[in-house]
Amino acid sequence: MGQYGTIARLHSLLSEKRLSCTELTRAYLDAIKKENSALCAYVKVTPETALKAAAKVDAKIAAGEPLAPLEGIPMTLKDNISTKGIETTCCSRILKGYVPIYDATVWDLLKKQNAVLLGKSNMDEFAMGSSCETSCFGGAKNPHNRKRVAGGSSGGVAAAVSANLAAFGLGSDTGGSIRQPASFCGVVGFKPTYGAVSRFGLIAYASSFDQIGPIAPSVEDAALIYDAISDYDPMDSTSIGRKAPVSPALENSIRGKKIGIVKEYFRGVRPDVDSAIKKAVGVLCSLGAETVEFSLPAISYSLPVYYILACAEASSNLGRYDGIRYGYQTKQHFADRNDMVCKTRSEGFGAEVKRRILLGTYVLSAGYYDAYYKKAQNLRGTIIQSFGEAFRKCDFIAAPTVPMTAFPENYAAKDPVETYLTDLCTVPVNIAGLPAVSVPCGFGNDGMPVGLQLIGPEFSEAPLLNAANQYELASRKTSFRSVETGVRL
Amino acid sequence: MVTHEEILKIANLAKLSVSPEELDGLTKDMNKMIGFADTINAASEGAGSFDSAGGLSNVFREDQVVPSCRREKILGNAPCTEGGYFLVRRRS
Repeated sequence: MGQYGTIARLHSLLSEKRLSCTELTRAYLDAIKKENSALCAYVKVTPETALKAAAKVDAKIAAGEPLAPLEGIPMTLKDNISTKGIETTCCSRILKGYVPIYDATVWDLLKKQNAVLLGKSNMDEFAMGSSCETSCFGGAKNPHNRKRVAGGSSGGVAAAVSANLAAFGLGSDTGGSIRQPASFCGVVGFKPTYGAVSRFGLIAYASSFDQIGPIAPSVEDAALIYDAISDYDPMDSTSIGRKAPVSPALENSIRGKKIGIVKEYFRGVRPDVDSAIKKAVGVLCSLGAETVEFSLPAISYSLPVYYILACAEASSNLGRYDGIRYGYQTKQHFADRNDMVCKTRSEGFGAEVKRRILLGTYVLSAGYYDAYYKKAQNLRGTIIQSFGEAFRKCDFIAAPTVPMTAFPENYAAKDPVETYLTDLCTVPVNIAGLPAVSVPCGFGNDGMPVGLQLIGPEFSEAPLLNAANQYELASRKTSFRSVETGVRL
Repeated sequence: MVTHEEILKIANLAKLSVSPEELDGLTKDMNKMIGFADTINAASEGAGSFDSAGGLSNVFREDQVVPSCRREKILGNAPCTEGGYFLVRRRS
């Protein structure tokens, strides 16, 4: 077991009876009470659910039964992961009051281990955004500097983990929504291979991109969580399941591994971020890895390809919000069903969601389908092929997670397209369905965390997280800074 | 360039209503976004194609009878129901 694993440390505190699960849970709940009004990491706190699970765990400890790896560990879920009996809103007005009648598979798996759900976390509305500020609750703040955003869309999970208001959390990553806020908040964010983790119960944004994954204080923690949630699920027709557990494979040397440095990932990267990434690559080389530089011209088109396809899928997925079956319904007078649906949707969705639905409807409409949607699908194929060629030259690709550090507040509101450009380094992975991890790798000139992104071929989770772990073990003392809030044991 | 009329047509297809005050700003934003989407035109048509994420196609399995959700539970989230059905009551 490595030295930076929060989950392993809490697990031994509980197992050795040095702390009861109820005490641990209360400590987190108290910390949330104290910090959350300023951070806005949680949009709903669930003390009853948490203390009930904690009591179960304490009974097991008292009976001398062994604990599962995540048993009794206090955690959070992004508010687009369905929780039976607990309001799930996607941070949208249109879903306020919606209480799922079933659990997402990932939550079902964690619940079976008696993981302690502290509450649901803030996010950009329907996961559409890079700052968490499109949330109808207002955005989560960055624990490293509260005048900066936590990032998005899983900003609440990243802020909660960074501020020690949860030991870990699950987010979703459609175009970078796990890795980007993890990078901004100085924690680890892992997006698994498409199909490795079931999305049943994840409220859909863009189904051919969406993937659930962990946000955690360390790579070791992320691997433990991944092992707990990656399983074949007949309820998700895109589910493939994992190939082998990752946690036992984190102690291997990376000597001789080839790290790809792709020119296109470094275009427009802020100089201080660029130098933090180069330094991190230097650490990987000092551990015996070698770099190989090349170009992947096809990924230059990743951003427009992503926005065309994701918005097209969103326009269809979000068609279900009609004010009839669940969620918000207009309070205005309406002439007929169509009028009611239009009024409900116009009042219920925020500005960014409406823009993306409109773009998606436009690119799918008669006369434009071939020029946009079909062409983007064709380019998606080209991008996938070029990653295939890249991984014949190298084992992993190293890149910045984001070309900058956390934005100041209200940055995203100015110009939608300007904000899309900041997703440059995260979206190619989603287009190709690849696994990628963001690990803290130091700080920018503004003192804000920088994330190193490591990208691997499909189902390379074990060697990928091993490389990330080796980097973390070698660099943690200078690349990571803990935030002085919340529960620190 | 998309016009106000086109935005209204697309909004109608997407079941969104756009107020006269919103129209100018939204048209401006949409033009920026479509201009951004247009940048793919510079790419030459590749040999690539994309059929399904994860390379899966037609995942079949035998039908299986499993417990389902109770009707009252499903209706419990609806803003308005009557006699076991969803209801849209005219409000004029």
